[in-house]
Amino acid sequence: MVDVHRTLDAAWKLEAARVVGALTRMVGDVGLAAELAQDALVAALEQWPRDGVPDNPGAWLTTVAKRRAVDHLRRAKRTVAAGEDEQAQEPDSGDDVLRLVFLACHPVLPTVQRVALTLKLVCGLTTEEIARAFLVDARTIADRVALAKRTLASRPPRAAGQLGSVREVIYLVFNEGYSATSGDDLLRPGLCLEALRLGRVLAELVPDDPEVHGLVALMELQASRSAARTGPGGEPVRLHEQNRGRWDQLLIRRGFTALLRARGSGPPGPYVLQAAIAACHAGARSAEETDWARIVSLYDALVHLVPTPVVRLNRAVAVGMAHGPEAGLALVDSLTDDLRDYHLHPGTRGDLLLRLGRHPEAAREFERAATLTDNAAERAFLRRRSTEAAAPVGRVLVDVADEFLARTDLDRSTLRSYAQTLARLRKAVGDRTPIAALTPQDIATMFTAAWSTASPKTWNRHRAAVRSFCSWSGIPDLTSTVERRKEVRNRAQAVELDRVWQLPDAPVRERLLWTLLHESGAPVRAVLDLDVEHLDLPGRRATGPISLRWRENAAHLLPQVLAGRTAGPLFLADRRPGPGRPPREGDLCPVTGRGRLSYERAEYLFKRATGLTLGALRH
Amino acid sequence: MRYLMTSKAGGQAPDERLYQEMGKFVEELTAAGVLLATGGLAPAGIRVSSVGDEITVTDGPFAEAKEAVAGFALVEVRSAEEALELTKRFRRIVGDGESVIQQVF
Repeated sequence: MVDVHRTLDAAWKLEAARVVGALTRMVGDVGLAAELAQDALVAALEQWPRDGVPDNPGAWLTTVAKRRAVDHLRRAKRTVAAGEDEQAQEPDSGDDVLRLVFLACHPVLPTVQRVALTLKLVCGLTTEEIARAFLVDARTIADRVALAKRTLASRPPRAAGQLGSVREVIYLVFNEGYSATSGDDLLRPGLCLEALRLGRVLAELVPDDPEVHGLVALMELQASRSAARTGPGGEPVRLHEQNRGRWDQLLIRRGFTALLRARGSGPPGPYVLQAAIAACHAGARSAEETDWARIVSLYDALVHLVPTPVVRLNRAVAVGMAHGPEAGLALVDSLTDDLRDYHLHPGTRGDLLLRLGRHPEAAREFERAATLTDNAAERAFLRRRSTEAAAPVGRVLVDVADEFLARTDLDRSTLRSYAQTLARLRKAVGDRTPIAALTPQDIATMFTAAWSTASPKTWNRHRAAVRSFCSWSGIPDLTSTVERRKEVRNRAQAVELDRVWQLPDAPVRERLLWTLLHESGAPVRAVLDLDVEHLDLPGRRATGPISLRWRENAAHLLPQVLAGRTAGPLFLADRRPGPGRPPREGDLCPVTGRGRLSYERAEYLFKRATGLTLGALRH
Repeated sequence: MRYLMTSKAGGQAPDERLYQEMGKFVEELTAAGVLLATGGLAPAGIRVSSVGDEITVTDGPFAEAKEAVAGFALVEVRSAEEALELTKRFRRIVGDGESVIQQVF
């Protein structure tokens, strides 16, 4: 089970930062220190397979490497005492590590070199490992490391003030792992782990810097979602669709703790703000409970500090969630010039357009985003979204139904009726059924089960709703096996109606409703939807969204029911609504605070008084 | 990847030196961002078992004190070898006894 090479590799990775840090202090040059460390590794590779792995591999490596450094100093005729001092007073290895990190992340180096050098010297990764993680060939990484060492040898680094550069390198490594910009895997967990560990080490070494804690908090919180953000096929799962049960609570807790440590004097910096945004998501029990208003305000502060187009794009997403897709879209559109060729721009636009029901445009944007991304998993995901947006048939019932019912071109009573039908359909076949998979048989079964004893009128109403839904969502008409039923007017009911007008103690509200229905011939929903401000009493008609006429009996009853009210629903419920069920604003009487009389209640009252249904009054 | 290391109660009773060395070890691993959680376990426990619809609750202790798990550490490491290396360091500090490392999914 013990593989010498792998044991050596593990021991080296645990010790690399401390060993190279100490050697750099001793010989004064990071390049030379790295070479000496390499010598120690070579020695281990020669001796360990022959003599067995030492009891304490880490200590072995440290000792051998330091001995090489002393040998070197002796050969270079430098003061030998340096090596002996070393034995006498072992300085804090934390200082060595910190100095090494600052050196590797030195601002004189180009970013790619900083990253390569840090992973190589501080994390102990091999050139091949770094190359694999960044999907470049090993030669490139070797060159970057060599070049960086040469630069640092000729230019002694300044002492302090480079913490920002260190944070940048760490976050870059993290992001390369977390949102891999290219390649086939969406996540390269190895890089995330390296960055996390490096960040945690830095937070211990520089405990007074709020931004370092902010960076750690940000990474912990983002890493907590890594298991949930890819699906079984490696495809990305968007934040609001992630299974929050799979978020790593341990990392979330660490993230919150780090965020608490980040609280310093003065206004929060960019990492603290981003961590606070991540914390908003981590703290929300469900996607719906996300405090988007707070996230927007955090983004406002972040945009102030880091006014880059990408940050502004993220803010636009938050605004789209807090204030609706139109507000978000306006902001996204204002960034078009700055974010040309950045795949998340059309991707975000596509999302917002989809929410606005502008499918063909959304499809085009997803297609553009797919072309722009270098990540294979993400490209496949965007292509699929594009196809779905172009033809909503690939989508699941609940989503299409919600969009269908969010239409603004239908009056409320129709929508309410459609909603009833679709709610039944969802129960019959399941929310997540793709609408393309619905069959006429499904529909026929539902009609038989739900409405076989209903009146022909009800039957036909539901049938019409399904037909309308099919044609709107672009799937074939599924009612082919559901016969339209012949509607017969019930003469017997008409005769019974006479009885209604003679009921002695019916309240005036009910009598008006019944009379209005009878005199106008309008649908029950339409009459219940009447608002006071739309009544033309002298003209005996309603104007506005619902237009109908009545005759003298209703005209006689109306003023009694109105009782001086000038706005709000004409027909009011008996009681004020409970706190749990706030009605729509238009359904609330400004004078009495009572809600609109519901269809169900009106139907119940009529049935109790007469044994008939309200529909009978229309004939 | 994460590993859980569980250790059975050791032979010798902890002394001042052990406490100090363990404290330093834990501190070091925490600072290195490796140790995520650690703790000791009380010898007494409650066993809950189920067969069919029936649930049985039994109060412990159950085994020889030496066989009972006395402590755990959850570490985040690059490889199994790294977990092994850390466990070896731990064993060198605590002396005679036994630890088990298992990967956490």
